[in-house]
Order: sequence, then C-alpha cells, then structure tokens
Amino acid sequence: MTAVACHNLEFGRTMLDFLACGCTSNASFDRFPVRSYAKGAVRNVNRGYKPRKLVCFQPEIGPQTKTPEALLTAVTADTPQVLDLKKELRSPASLTNLFEVVAEDLQTLNKNLQSIVGAENPVLMSAAEQIFGAGGKRMRPALVFLVSRATAEIVGLKELTKEHRRLAEIIEMIHTASLIHDDVLDESDMRRGKETLHQLYGTRVAVLAGDFMFAQSSWYLANLENLEVIKLISQVIKDFASGEIKQASSLFDCDVQLEEYLIKSYYKTASLISASTKGASIFSGVNSYISEQMYQYGKNFGLSFQIVDDILDFTQSAEQLGKPAGSDLANGNLTAPVIFALKKEARLRDIIESEFCDTGSLEEAIEIVKRCGGIHRAQDLAREKANLAVQNLQCLPLNSFRIALEELVKYNLERIK
Amino acid sequence: MSAAEQIFGAGGKRTRPALVFLVSRATAEIIGFRELTKEHRRLAEIIEMIHTASLIHDDVLDESDMRRGKETVHQLYGTRVAVLAGDFMFAQSSWYLANLENLEVIKLISQVIKDFASGEIKQASSLFDCDVQLDEYLLKSYYKTASLIAASTKGAAIFSGVDSEISEQMYQYGKNFGLSFQVVDDILDFTQSAEDLGKPSASDLAKGNLTAPVIFALEKETKLRDIIESEFCESGSLEKAVDIIESCGGIDKARELAKSKAELALENLQCLPLSSFRFSLEEMVKNNLERIR
Repeated sequence: MTAVACHNLEFGRTMLDFLACGCTSNASFDRFPVRSYAKGAVRNVNRGYKPRKLVCFQPEIGPQTKTPEALLTAVTADTPQVLDLKKELRSPASLTNLFEVVAEDLQTLNKNLQSIVGAENPVLMSAAEQIFGAGGKRMRPALVFLVSRATAEIVGLKELTKEHRRLAEIIEMIHTASLIHDDVLDESDMRRGKETLHQLYGTRVAVLAGDFMFAQSSWYLANLENLEVIKLISQVIKDFASGEIKQASSLFDCDVQLEEYLIKSYYKTASLISASTKGASIFSGVNSYISEQMYQYGKNFGLSFQIVDDILDFTQSAEQLGKPAGSDLANGNLTAPVIFALKKEARLRDIIESEFCDTGSLEEAIEIVKRCGGIHRAQDLAREKANLAVQNLQCLPLNSFRIALEELVKYNLERIK
Repeated sequence: MSAAEQIFGAGGKRTRPALVFLVSRATAEIIGFRELTKEHRRLAEIIEMIHTASLIHDDVLDESDMRRGKETVHQLYGTRVAVLAGDFMFAQSSWYLANLENLEVIKLISQVIKDFASGEIKQASSLFDCDVQLDEYLLKSYYKTASLIAASTKGAAIFSGVDSEISEQMYQYGKNFGLSFQVVDDILDFTQSAEDLGKPSASDLAKGNLTAPVIFALEKETKLRDIIESEFCESGSLEKAVDIIESCGGIDKARELAKSKAELALENLQCLPLSSFRFSLEEMVKNNLERIR
C-alpha cells in the first residue's frame, strides 16, 4: 500500500470523493485520468504497476513540520513505499512529468504572461509570442510553485496565494527579459531552435521588449508590498547586470579561476533561482531557517544547472542545443570544462588566446577539453552541487512536491549522463 | 567606467536631483527639519541614475550619434556596452530603491520605470502617424519625462514627512513642470541650431516623432501631412516641413501650451512656505520658459 498525502480537510472519503479531491484509488487507474495538481496528490496512472490502495488522511491542524514517520504512521504504511514513489516518478522521466503536480499553475501562468506583455502593443505581442512560445521549460515558475506547495504544507496553507502566483510571473518575466537582452549582448541569432528576437525584429525592439519586461516585473514586485522579497529580487536584477559585466570583461581570459566562474554563474543563473525558491517560502510564511534552506537549494541547484548547461555546450550537437555547439568557447566565455582543462593542457591556452583566428582551432580546442578530462571534472562539480541541493530539502516534509524538487535535481544530472 | 564618465561627464544639468534637493529643503522647513536625510540624498542619486540609464537606452533605440555635443555611449562603445551600461544603472537604482525600505516611494518609482517603457513603446508605434492627438502627445510626454520628475518631487516630500496634500501638490508641480519642460524641449528642437542643441536640428521630426508644434501645425496646414507621411524621402522636404510649422504658428501655440503648464506648476507651489527654496522652484519654471522667449 502506498501512502500519499492528500491536502484537504475531509477524512475517510468515498472513491468519488477521492476523485473530486484529486486522489486516486486502485480501481480508478485506467478509467479516471485524475488531475491531481490542485490538491497535491501524486498521480499514479498507467505506470504498469500493481494497483495500490491510496488513502486520504486529515492533516493535523496548525503549523507543524511533519516527519516522514508521522505522515506514514497515520496511514499505517511504512517508509519503503515512499521510495517506490520516486521510482514511479522517474520513469518515464521528463520535465512535464516532474511538473505535473503544478501543471495547472503553469497553464495559468502562461496565459497571464501573454496578456501582461501583449496588452501594451501589437509589436510587443508578436515579440511576446516569439519569446513565450519558443519552447521555454518554465522551470523557474515551476520551482516557485513546487516550493510554495511544499512549504505550504508545513504551515497548513491550503492553496497558493496570489502573491505566490505573482512571484512566479515576475520571475519568468525577469528571466525572459534577461534572455532577450543577453541575445542582444551576445549578438546571437538562435535560441531554442528559433531565431532570436533581435534577429527578427531588430535591436531596437529587443532592447525595448527587454526593458518593458524588466519594468513590468519591477512594478508588480513593488505592488507585492513585501519589503523582504522586493529587496531579494532587486538584488537579483543587480546580480544579472554584474554577471554580464563580469563575463564581458573576462572573455578569452585564461587566468580565470573556478571561484570566479562560480560567482559569475551565481550572478547569471543561481541568483534568480535561489531568490525564487526563497521568495516562495517567504510567501508561505515558514520560519527563516526553512527559507534559508530553500535559498540554498535554489543556489546549489542553480549552480548545478548552469554547470550542466556549460557541459552540454560542448557535448551536444547544434540540433539538440537549438544553437551552434561550442558557442560559449567561441565567444571567449570560459566555463567549467575549459577551466579544468586549462590546468592540464597548456596548449589550450594558446589556442584560446588566439581567439580562434585559425580555422579548425575551435574544434581542436573542444577536442583537448574533452580529451584531458575537463568534461568529467565538470560533471563531478555538477554532481557535488546537486548533492548539496538535495540535502537542503531535508527540512521539508515528505510529499510529492519535495519529491519533485529532488527529482528535478536528479533529472538535471541525467542530461549529462 | 569609461561609459560612466562619458555619460556623467557629458554636461548634464542635474535638473532632476536639483529638484529633489529643492523640494526636500522647501518641505523640510514646514515640519522643522534642519538637514536633509540620507533618504533624500539617496533618492536624488536614484533619480539621476534612472534618468541617465534611460538616456543611454533611448540613444540605442533612436540610433542617435550625438548627445550634449558628445558622441553617445553606443556610438563610441557599441550597442552591447550601451545596453549593458543602461541595464546596470537601472539595476543599481532598483536595488538602492528597494533598500530605502519605503513602500510608497518604491511603488512610486517602479511606476516611473514602467512609464518609461510604455512611453518608448507609444512613441515607437506612432512614428509618422499624423492622426496623433494632443492628449496622446501629453500622455507620452508624461510617460517619458514628467513621470520621473513628478515622482522625484513627490518622493522628496514623502521623505520630509509632510502631509499627503502637500505631497500631492509636489507631485502636481513635478508633473506640470515636467510637461512644460518637455514642450519647451520639443520647441527648441525646431528653433535652435545644431550647435546649441548638441545634436542635429529637427531630429524629432526627421524620425517621425511628432511633437506639439507639429501637432498644432497639422491642424492648420494639410500639406504638412503629405510631407510627413512621405517620411521625408525627398531632399529638402524636412526643411520645408520646418518652415510650414513655423509659418502657420505651430511654434507659437506650443509656446502657449508650455506657458499654461508652467502657470499650473507655479500654483502648485502655493502650499509651501515662502523660502529661498520655494523661490528657486518658481525660478526653475520661469527659467525653462526663458529658453523659448
């Protein structure tokens, strides 16, 4: 028997009630594709496993952290079943599955984003469609929703607040605005397999669209009226700019250290993610220890994520990447694999410092990076950060959201297996 | 750093910070403040950073080569540095703003940044549009210029701790002065030489940005519409358009508009005690009009 936490007040429901509240029971697997995101139960349909009897139970009233044991005793199941849950979630592994528990939240987000950006002007509307339709994973908003729901349980919050939702929208707007400007700064033509905004509409529209989105998100942020979160996110926007400058001023600089790379990766990627996860927990009203752990989770996951991205820039084909391979290196942006490789192979330095003026030198550099273990060491680094991230989740009660957060960390590593 | 020197050293008048300080001191007197608070000072810095950031991006958006008689940041260093410098300054000012920890001021200034973006978009989507009405022009001028000024003056009053009626009057002062200021700028774009302007003359019109003088002239002279809609493809057409605008009184009517906003601004100062600071605020309004005598 598998125990799953069902977040609603009624106790001892009939099967129909289970369906209404989003839980599933053994009889329902094939016939009722239950959309359980709203209530937080894990969907276990059609996985080819033996049907299990799921039981709803009443969460105790009042804010308290549930230990896994307490959760499970309430339904007289034992711990190993929860681990089975993880296996089920991991196959088939895909982001859509991982984010299933917050799928509806994400749908609402998409609609809101399009209308926020598009409302102003038809040109921005097309730009908005180009950007928001370009296959973005919505990972950051998903993180906000997952952490919101995971932490909400601790304090007995039933539903996400509008602050939670607005925070997710703000985060995605900031992220998108930064991508638009990044592409102007990098003079990139392709992103996610499609042409970049500034390639299609020109630099002007790209700068304007980016500015508009930054401005909108600042305004929504201010109107959340939470000083802690306002300061948190303002720090992120500052970090973005700092990160860009750091990167721009150290292109082709072979003396770059790992520490600097991690700071730059923090500024450019992990800062926003950690502010998202921390912000979500602030709006849940959990104590500062948990908020801090959520911050660390975001930071460690964010770093792991960036390192994996940097590895993939070497190992994936242009088709998979949606843009040319080895482009970081070609632009002089020296990432983890390169930094590790530079310690081993002096020749690499010369090639990089030549800024790849000779044909074939980029390919040669990539070869060297791979050959002398730069990729492997980067993989180790990514794993190390991932482990830290999983540890940061320990303070959360065992529920489908915490599991999804763990699985996300692992899924990220799968990309470089 | 070099970009910053280019911008901050390029002869800016620091009108906006001056307004913050003047209003701060003028209102401080009402409740017996002796010195400016650090919030006042930080507000002035934030305002100037936002203003400067917007100029840098504006020049990228307008593809301008010259500002204040010097080359623009993006002309010298490229679009990339210009976008980056602008972003950095916006980011810094947002961060300092957040750390002022005053929700009212945070919301006030965030609204401004949103207005800037809206104003740019409004302008970009109505270039060469001869159907533009005066109130749209005023709205766009509010977004692009008066909004920041109004938020500065109101913010200064908030940090002085005066009551909301005075804060509101300070807001209106900023708004009316800001509109007057923008209208005067728009007039000067026609009447000054390139040397005085620090950039080519009639560049607004050349780009299709139709300001007060043009809007008034369009009501009088239909020929002007054709020339504008041709987007000045014929040589000499820009000069012809400028002539029409001057001869049919477009400049004069714009001057009247600038004066009427200035008068409103002066009225808004009535609630302040008579002091050298209030006097300076009045003089700023009048000096602005002197530019188009």
